[in-house]
Amino acid sequence: MLSIQGLRASVDQTTILDGLDLNVKAGEVHAIMGPNGSGKSTLANVVAGREDYSVDGGSIQYNGVDLLELSADERACEGIFLAFQYPVSIPGISNAYFLRSALNAVRRYRDESEIDAVDFLELVRSKMKLVGMDEKLLQRAVNDGFSGGEKKRNEILQMAVLDPKLAILDETDSGLDIDALRIVAEGVNMLRQEDRSIVVVTHYQRLLDYIVPDHVHVLSGGKIVRSGDKSLALELEKEGYSWLTGAGSTPGNNPLEVS
Amino acid sequence: MSSDALQDWTDQIRDGQNKFCDDDPLLVKRRSGAAERFGESGFPGRKHEEWRYTPLSSMVDGRCSSPLARVEELKGVGDLPVASIARIVLLNGEFRSDLSDLSRLPGSLKIGSLATLRAEEPRKLNDQLDSFFPPEDHPFQDLADAHLDDGVILEVVDEDVTVEGSVHIIHAFDGSEAAGSAHLTGLIHVASGSKLHLVEEVRCQGDVLGNIRWGVCTGARSDVRRLRVIRRGGTSIFHRTVVQQQADSRFEDVFCCSGTRLMRNEIAASHEGSGCHTELLGAYVARGNEHVDNHTTIDHRIEDCTSREVYRGVLAEKSKGIFTGMIHVHQDAQRTDAKQSNDSILLSGEAEANTRPRLEIYADDVKCTHGATIGELDEDALFYLRSRGISASEARSILVRAFTSEVLEGLADEAIREMISEELQEAIPSGAGES
Repeated sequence: MLSIQGLRASVDQTTILDGLDLNVKAGEVHAIMGPNGSGKSTLANVVAGREDYSVDGGSIQYNGVDLLELSADERACEGIFLAFQYPVSIPGISNAYFLRSALNAVRRYRDESEIDAVDFLELVRSKMKLVGMDEKLLQRAVNDGFSGGEKKRNEILQMAVLDPKLAILDETDSGLDIDALRIVAEGVNMLRQEDRSIVVVTHYQRLLDYIVPDHVHVLSGGKIVRSGDKSLALELEKEGYSWLTGAGSTPGNNPLEVS
Repeated sequence: MSSDALQDWTDQIRDGQNKFCDDDPLLVKRRSGAAERFGESGFPGRKHEEWRYTPLSSMVDGRCSSPLARVEELKGVGDLPVASIARIVLLNGEFRSDLSDLSRLPGSLKIGSLATLRAEEPRKLNDQLDSFFPPEDHPFQDLADAHLDDGVILEVVDEDVTVEGSVHIIHAFDGSEAAGSAHLTGLIHVASGSKLHLVEEVRCQGDVLGNIRWGVCTGARSDVRRLRVIRRGGTSIFHRTVVQQQADSRFEDVFCCSGTRLMRNEIAASHEGSGCHTELLGAYVARGNEHVDNHTTIDHRIEDCTSREVYRGVLAEKSKGIFTGMIHVHQDAQRTDAKQSNDSILLSGEAEANTRPRLEIYADDVKCTHGATIGELDEDALFYLRSRGISASEARSILVRAFTSEVLEGLADEAIREMISEELQEAIPSGAGES
């Protein structure tokens, strides 16, 4: 599904990813963990095609396609979905209009006919039920005035509607209380299927209590420094990330400090 | 402007005036006075404060100076989807009863042509013109007076009635055969406590100069709402509205312009009783060398009146957008509450926005806010849309829709709101704003 080889990326001439390798097979759930500033969000954004980052080396193959040749929108149409750490609000555009524009863009790319208003509403209502979202949010402006939980749930709704093959969840747990976290995780779990891969980027282990990964990777200094199964996440919870730098834990860098 | 070009315009005025020799002396005087003023002042240049960013002397030539010839049919784009109770067509300067539909008018609403009023009740017309358009040095007012001929009169004669549905006014200028100009005057009077909704559509074909002016009187407690849609493709349009509001009346204007070579949009609203509300909203898109100049004045003369003004422009390529918004709070206008904002998005490094909020406040107990922003499309929002599969050009178009939505959201009719949104979006060149 996804094969990243020796990926190097920088922003404003500061190297962030420095020779990263990652292989994700169809149907697998991978967790990328690591301290702040290790390059987790950069990885998520580079795969999604954000142009603020410059890719300086390496390759990303996705289902046999050279992903780096595609624009952000083409990647989305090819089935890549990024759930944002900070979903953007767009006052003046209703959630329904946004979702329908996105779905139709993807359908046009796949040479499918555009969905009509009635079918769209039926589809989106069923997906809203799936992710436990209030239908009223459909007519509200995109993420405008949404609570943290509503924003994240809205990301999962978009994922459910767009039906991606590879979903990357960038710190989806940040800013969520435990109830919201559980609801979002349940939504993701319902979207787990054999032909869909999920990459969960997270600082904390707690999300992985709900979304149980097949593989866990630790990212540090722009590279994957350790990989293992879900027990690695538990190990990290015990030990923190301090072993990475060889020094004691630094403030804000310890997952155990959070209740 | 070259002296030849001015000569073309003054020659046409002289020729035109000879047609009207049988009119009432007051109207003859009005025409000749305006002709004289125009002949002396011509089109204003950069030194004229009100025209600093729209120096007509270098923008208008003599090509459109002759009157537009009569054409039989209304051509070009289809009508806006207006749920109308009356459709009025003014084509090349003439009220066309053959193309208009006044068959469903309620008894409370009277609609007629200005040409008829001019012939039948010249004194009454002259009095009304005096009240809205006293002689002043204003090039388009002078042209309208010098060529004073036709237009439309709308009157809600009964008090406390709600006119259901909209009056749809189509101002069409067709210069596809030969370039030319037309000058129209409209008068609106709404009786106390009555409600009227208007949709005014301006369409142009070929090389034309359309000059439209309105005098609007909102009776006490009345509610007048107007939507103006300048359809894409005009060459030169001058549109001026003078509003006199009686106590406790509401006047709302929504101006939408999806691209005109040269557009001057003027509104001057004045409160003549307490408790009035004025709402001026505008959304405009320009590209190429298009030039949109909005010039609004709200005269808060009396206490306890409110106003809200929101103008939003999207400027692509080498276009220019101008906003001059005067809020004048007179000494007696205590407890005025006035809000004004003008926001512009530039989609290219060569586009230009000039915004001049002007507040003059002579009362001490007032709330007045104004703000202006000039920026670009939000990169984070663009990436968010693109990460969902939406192409870069569609993403920009969606953000243009988002930006103008605050202006359009008050339009109750969804079909028309959607059509205007789409026209504004389509006016954006597909590659605009690429970084």
